Amino acid sequence: MALIEIENLSVTYHVGGRSIRAVEDVSLSVAARESYGLVGESGSGKSTILRAICGLAPVSGGRIRIAGAPVKTPRGKAFSRHVQMVFQDPYGSLHPRHTIDRTLAEPLAIHGIGDTDARVVRALDDVGLPPAFRFRYPHQLSGGQRQRVAIARALMLEPEILLLDEPTSALDASVQAETLNLLNRLRAEHGLTFLMVSHDLAVIDHMCDRVLVMQHGRAVEELSRAALAGAQMTTDYARTLFEASADRMLEV
Amino acid sequence: MGQITSWLRDPNPASRLQARIGQYYLGWLRLSRNPLAMIGLTIVLSLLVMAAFAPLFATHDPIAQDLGQRLLPPGTPGHWLGTDDFGRDLWTRIVYGARITLYIVALVALTAPLFGLIVGTVAGYFGGWLDQVLMRITDIFLAFPKLILALALVAVLGPGVENAVLAIALTSWPPYARVARAETLTVRNADYIAAVRLQGAGALRIIWGYVMPMCLPSVIIRVTLDMAGVILTAAGLGFLGLGVQPPLPEWGLMISSGRKFLFEQWWVATIPGLAIFIVSLGFNLLGDGLRDVLDPRSSGK
Repeated sequence: MALIEIENLSVTYHVGGRSIRAVEDVSLSVAARESYGLVGESGSGKSTILRAICGLAPVSGGRIRIAGAPVKTPRGKAFSRHVQMVFQDPYGSLHPRHTIDRTLAEPLAIHGIGDTDARVVRALDDVGLPPAFRFRYPHQLSGGQRQRVAIARALMLEPEILLLDEPTSALDASVQAETLNLLNRLRAEHGLTFLMVSHDLAVIDHMCDRVLVMQHGRAVEELSRAALAGAQMTTDYARTLFEASADRMLEV
Repeated sequence: MGQITSWLRDPNPASRLQARIGQYYLGWLRLSRNPLAMIGLTIVLSLLVMAAFAPLFATHDPIAQDLGQRLLPPGTPGHWLGTDDFGRDLWTRIVYGARITLYIVALVALTAPLFGLIVGTVAGYFGGWLDQVLMRITDIFLAFPKLILALALVAVLGPGVENAVLAIALTSWPPYARVARAETLTVRNADYIAAVRLQGAGALRIIWGYVMPMCLPSVIIRVTLDMAGVILTAAGLGFLGLGVQPPLPEWGLMISSGRKFLFEQWWVATIPGLAIFIVSLGFNLLGDGLRDVLDPRSSGK
């Protein structure tokens, strides 16, 4: 049974009197411990799917099931223990006036989990940050270090599913590779399921078992890693996207 | 000394407390580089000291009358700022008046911003009809001129220090609500709010722990800059006889009593006027300095 099932999902934003369909009729399913990619240019609705799963975007049609059960609205605390998200911008996803310690301890406080000190120290260690960083503020960290903190925060509740919204697109190339390797290691160690958004096929190729190509809010084509590597795409759009990043895919 | 400084500046603080104190220390360093802010801080601190140790600074009794010594000019031996029409020493009355001024300022500064902050963050965070209702109520309060509304309230409640404070607080919260709401609207869609909401945090936790700390700097700056206005409104109410009642040495009331002989004995009204001027200036300078320190857009540098 698939861990994440999305059937005919549509998301419609109402701005002023107009309505904008950000996602139209997209279906996908992700098996447990699989890493699934969503790729497309900006505005193709890939991030909106992640936000819809978290209840941060207005779902206008379709069904979302996590581990076979339909998600509740509002999502509730039980959902938080299954699904967590890492945001794109490491500069905007950490509260500027909270220490790293507070950021990491907060999910534990919300869910009434004790043993805070040990868990925070272990989480820092898990993402490769020295324990000395514990009481720093976000502005005392680099972008890559901040993103590590955001990943540690997402793992505090020990979720099975991690939604990754372009987790490395705001980082420079070397830090990007480090962060992707960290994510791969954590996935293996914690048995995580990834649903990852990127505009970069090279990143997706490095990370994902399967990938869904999206354009204008619709699903274009689903590809396995083998199909991606062999350039066996059937649609023109997927092919142009592939050709745009093919040279860099060889490097990774 | 060097040990304390290095403890404060430690980039890897060992505890929550050290991290917080370190941040305050950096803020203090920024504030102390601004000479005008330091002048403001000095004025405000001297006012605090003067009020706390009023009996030590005063040379006479602030209420006891001595009609033989009335209306002496500044510079008279024993009364270096002169005396008023009941022969009371002006310096003593200014010193004791600092207590009343600070009492009013402190009460207003505690109640009005807190109330405005709650209204503004709740309205901004929830949005929708709650926002509409709360902001229209705010608009109603903003539609009246401040002093007129305070006058009306005091006229209903009756004159006195507590009622003056209540009237001033009730007329000064709407701007804080506006500021807090504006700030809330900019942070409510931030990723860190989405992240904590995804962790299952309730509205109360988000507003208290995440939204309010972001609104606090703008509100604190606004409060410091408004303190001058609060002192002036309190003095205005005192001047009109609706605030503090005689024989208490409130500065506005002192100006009011000096008005009758402004041309012959100018000092009776001028000296409390100067006191109000200096203290207002102090709060304004401090507020300007705090803006540079607390502005979230400039922090972290």
